[in-house]
Amino acid sequence: MTNKIYMALAAVSALSLHAQGLNHKIDFPKDSPVSLLSADFGNSNATARGANLIEVNAALSLRNSGQKRIRSMTLMVSAPDAAGRGSVSVPTLDAGPGETFSVHIGTRLVRPLAAGNPIVEVTLDGVLFDDLSFFGPDMLHSQRSMIMWELEAQRDRKYFKSLLASRGAEELGKEMRLSLARQADSSQRGVQMVRGRATNIDAEREAQFAFLDIPESPVEALNGVARIGSSLAGAPRFEVRNRSSRAVAHLEVGWIVKDQQGREFLAASMPADLKLAPNQSGQVAQDAALRFDRPVSIQSMSGFVSSVEFADGTQWIPSRGALDQPRLRPLVAPSPEEQRLSQIYNKRGLPALIAELNKF
Amino acid sequence: MMRHVIETDLALCVAGDLPFWRSALVNLHVRRCDECRDLLEALRADRQELRRSVDDMPANVDWDQLAAEMTANIRVGLAAGECVTPRERRVPTISWRPAAIAAGLVMLMAGAWWLNIPRTDTEAIGRALRNMATGGRAISPQEESGPVVGASSTGVKLVENGGQMGIEQRGLQPVMYSVSTQGSASARYVDQDTGQVTITAVYDQ
Repeated sequence: MTNKIYMALAAVSALSLHAQGLNHKIDFPKDSPVSLLSADFGNSNATARGANLIEVNAALSLRNSGQKRIRSMTLMVSAPDAAGRGSVSVPTLDAGPGETFSVHIGTRLVRPLAAGNPIVEVTLDGVLFDDLSFFGPDMLHSQRSMIMWELEAQRDRKYFKSLLASRGAEELGKEMRLSLARQADSSQRGVQMVRGRATNIDAEREAQFAFLDIPESPVEALNGVARIGSSLAGAPRFEVRNRSSRAVAHLEVGWIVKDQQGREFLAASMPADLKLAPNQSGQVAQDAALRFDRPVSIQSMSGFVSSVEFADGTQWIPSRGALDQPRLRPLVAPSPEEQRLSQIYNKRGLPALIAELNKF
Repeated sequence: MMRHVIETDLALCVAGDLPFWRSALVNLHVRRCDECRDLLEALRADRQELRRSVDDMPANVDWDQLAAEMTANIRVGLAAGECVTPRERRVPTISWRPAAIAAGLVMLMAGAWWLNIPRTDTEAIGRALRNMATGGRAISPQEESGPVVGASSTGVKLVENGGQMGIEQRGLQPVMYSVSTQGSASARYVDQDTGQVTITAVYDQ
């Protein structure tokens, strides 16, 4: 009897759990400023377990084959029949012409069983150069994020360099230690975002946003409300007013939540595509709900305008002075560049940081 | 030494059921044997007594019915005796074989389920069962609606139509993560050695 059970189990396993070969396709445009030197998909595999379970562990070695310095790059990862799309971005690059750099892709996909071997596609979504010019299909609208990262990098490098020049290396080191302490103290919560049917959420009450005004911001947010339930909030809507002299095409508002212990954390961002002429007001309403991984009793909510894109494609981001507001400083994450620089200081010391700042 | 007539022959002789020649032999012996004669006379007296008793029985007795009633009374008596007699408690014996077979089947079913059913389907079935058990109060409506993107200390994940996409970075923990109301989630990783920052994201469209 025991032998028969073992045989049945082995048969089920053999039929159901068989590793399949994983095909991969790396597709860069012919005129891409980035070329592929090598791709190692060594640890990648696909397993049929009711569905295709695909694990991608790839290391790509790339070269800047263009004439400009590359500041950031985004790769899109997708699989036919798989849910959605993913991306891997490297926002703090400084790869000159002919220089090489590497990108690691770690992805786990579950997709319905289909005939044939599963395939994973890696394509170039965009490359941003040091002059803020862009190359790529921008399927994921990554250009906007990449420009924002570069503007933040320029802002922070300028700040640290001026600090070094005006107050010396010791002050720069002190600033780095403060930055590292803030990064260690940041409290975050696991969150999920569901789009659609947010108006059906089991809300207990409607709460108002208390918007933090950043005087230099070209857009002002006001009169915001959202529905609040147990560990969730949804259907946010608010008014915006373009108080600049330039037409606005897109803006992003940070959504801050305060829990029952009085702790505040940045819960989500609320991007909105809307065209606002100078001095024009508009309404933003989003059919989305925010749900926390752990129970959170939301006491209050606040928000702030975190970025604005004008009709001509240029962007506004808050200055370091604006972010130094006591309410904002502990909530707003440091820029990717500040995190990179502080990690260089932490790992290799002040001289390495100064050398890095002097590169560009 | 004279041999006596056996008792059954004497009884048959009294009833007149012996053949003629044997009856003559018995009568011949009885004339000479006092002991057998006494026994014969006793049997004859019993027979006459029995005839008198039969005369006392009610007329038209249904013997078959009487026999059935007697049988029934005997059975009732036996059953009543069973009720009042203390009995030994019987412990049912459980054979290990059916239990082992059942355990094996359960393991086989669990293994087949684990191998063949995607985790998302198992979770969906679990949610549906919880929903049925709680009358739909335990799960907020949006849980079943549309794609869900999530960001946590384990990275970013998109769940949609039973499929999933998660992106991570070689076992690193993200230094920050967030979600957007336009249906994306992102996580930021910092390489501890080089400082290189990598941002992963999933999009529901």
